[in-house]
Amino acid sequence: MFLRNYWYVAASDHEIGRQPLRRVILGEPIVFFRTEDGAPVAFEDRCAHRHLPLSMGKLIGDTLQCHYHGLRYDRTGVCVRVPGQDMIPPSARVRTYPIVQRYHWVWVWMGDPALADPDKITDFHWLDDPNWGAKPQYLHVKANWQLIVDNLLDLTHLAFVHETTIGNSALVEHASVKVTRSQDNVLVTRWIIDQPAPPTFVKVGGFKGNVDRWQIIDFTPPAFLRLDVGATPTGTGAPEGRRVGGISMRNLNAITPETESTCHYFWGQAHDFDIHNRETTDKVTEQIRTAFLEDVAVFEAQQVNLDLIPNPPQTDINADTGVIQARRILDRLHAEEQAAAAATRVAAE
Amino acid sequence: MTKWHRVASSADLHEGEAFPVDLAGTPIALYRVDGKIHAIDDVCTHEYAVLSQGFVQDGTIECPLHAAQFDIATGECLSGPATQDLRTYEVRLEGDDIYVCAREE
Repeated sequence: MFLRNYWYVAASDHEIGRQPLRRVILGEPIVFFRTEDGAPVAFEDRCAHRHLPLSMGKLIGDTLQCHYHGLRYDRTGVCVRVPGQDMIPPSARVRTYPIVQRYHWVWVWMGDPALADPDKITDFHWLDDPNWGAKPQYLHVKANWQLIVDNLLDLTHLAFVHETTIGNSALVEHASVKVTRSQDNVLVTRWIIDQPAPPTFVKVGGFKGNVDRWQIIDFTPPAFLRLDVGATPTGTGAPEGRRVGGISMRNLNAITPETESTCHYFWGQAHDFDIHNRETTDKVTEQIRTAFLEDVAVFEAQQVNLDLIPNPPQTDINADTGVIQARRILDRLHAEEQAAAAATRVAAE
Repeated sequence: MTKWHRVASSADLHEGEAFPVDLAGTPIALYRVDGKIHAIDDVCTHEYAVLSQGFVQDGTIECPLHAAQFDIATGECLSGPATQDLRTYEVRLEGDDIYVCAREE
């Protein structure tokens, strides 16, 4: 299941340059490159002639030349040269995709180009905000994208999958979780009041006593998960919205489906302390990467079973509330997109 | 043994929110709807799900897992997958103390 009328993260900004980059998104092969003036371009990575990926070709000025028979396409995806003939067949063109560079990521619109409004790009400003330190990361995962959405909305696995890394028994024993939802959004909020800070927080936050700690997960379709985590000295009013004398981080996740069973996982860990210290950024990023790799092992093992037994029955437990609400939103949005597409087809006939 | 148990204080309850309590071994939830206090079972009659972790809207509680809906005042099951109603409990307010009457087994 894919949702098409959305902006997806296609690449980190530094990945796209004068060397064509192929990336499959929502099952569609796309080639990315930059024109000589630095503007990013995205079009179908399949020559209109004999289907070779255009990413195997090379840039000549602002045109991309196919490696097979030398057809050249300009930045609008239109073929402008066919070697050995003067006439260019009108069908010699490839589909282009709306593309925007923002927050150190390059975003591509996968739906109806007429609806591609850059204002709809989900906010990830922490990745390039001067008040935060961050370094965007990428992982390729051999699992369905929704397994990652499930995982990021579920805090209870921390005590098991991440027992030796970011897990902490206080998370399970002393926490109250609240799930709230609106039309297209799920919020999972957990407060841990008046408990010792985990060692990593003590190190960077210099806490002397107990803390009030929060984990607030924001899910925005199709697969954006922004986690607000942090701590302040207990009793200073963080639960009421006054955050003073503490630390906070944003764990930022944008998952882009590649195929039904693989995905691109873009993420970053932004921190509001020691923001200009590259070592600190590297350290918090590395810590999360270690934990994420523990998750990836889980996703890929789940996917192996789901490939063997598609759509098996499953049991729900109380901790699944956030996951189930998100899945319900995605199912509804998918049904809406399918209905709109069917209506368009009927209107066209 | 008295059937009435003090389970909460009036200040614990807020409109639009469930307040789960233990009533002599039975998990129930208290709600305040338009000022009136109600007490109903806190386990969905479909599968084991804690209803107070679900969603309160317009005098109903929606199960957090499979979206069955119940009327908070009457316990009536309004939509599936559940088919059975929830049990309701008598509530008495004495000052700020909320008392709920346990059912005879």
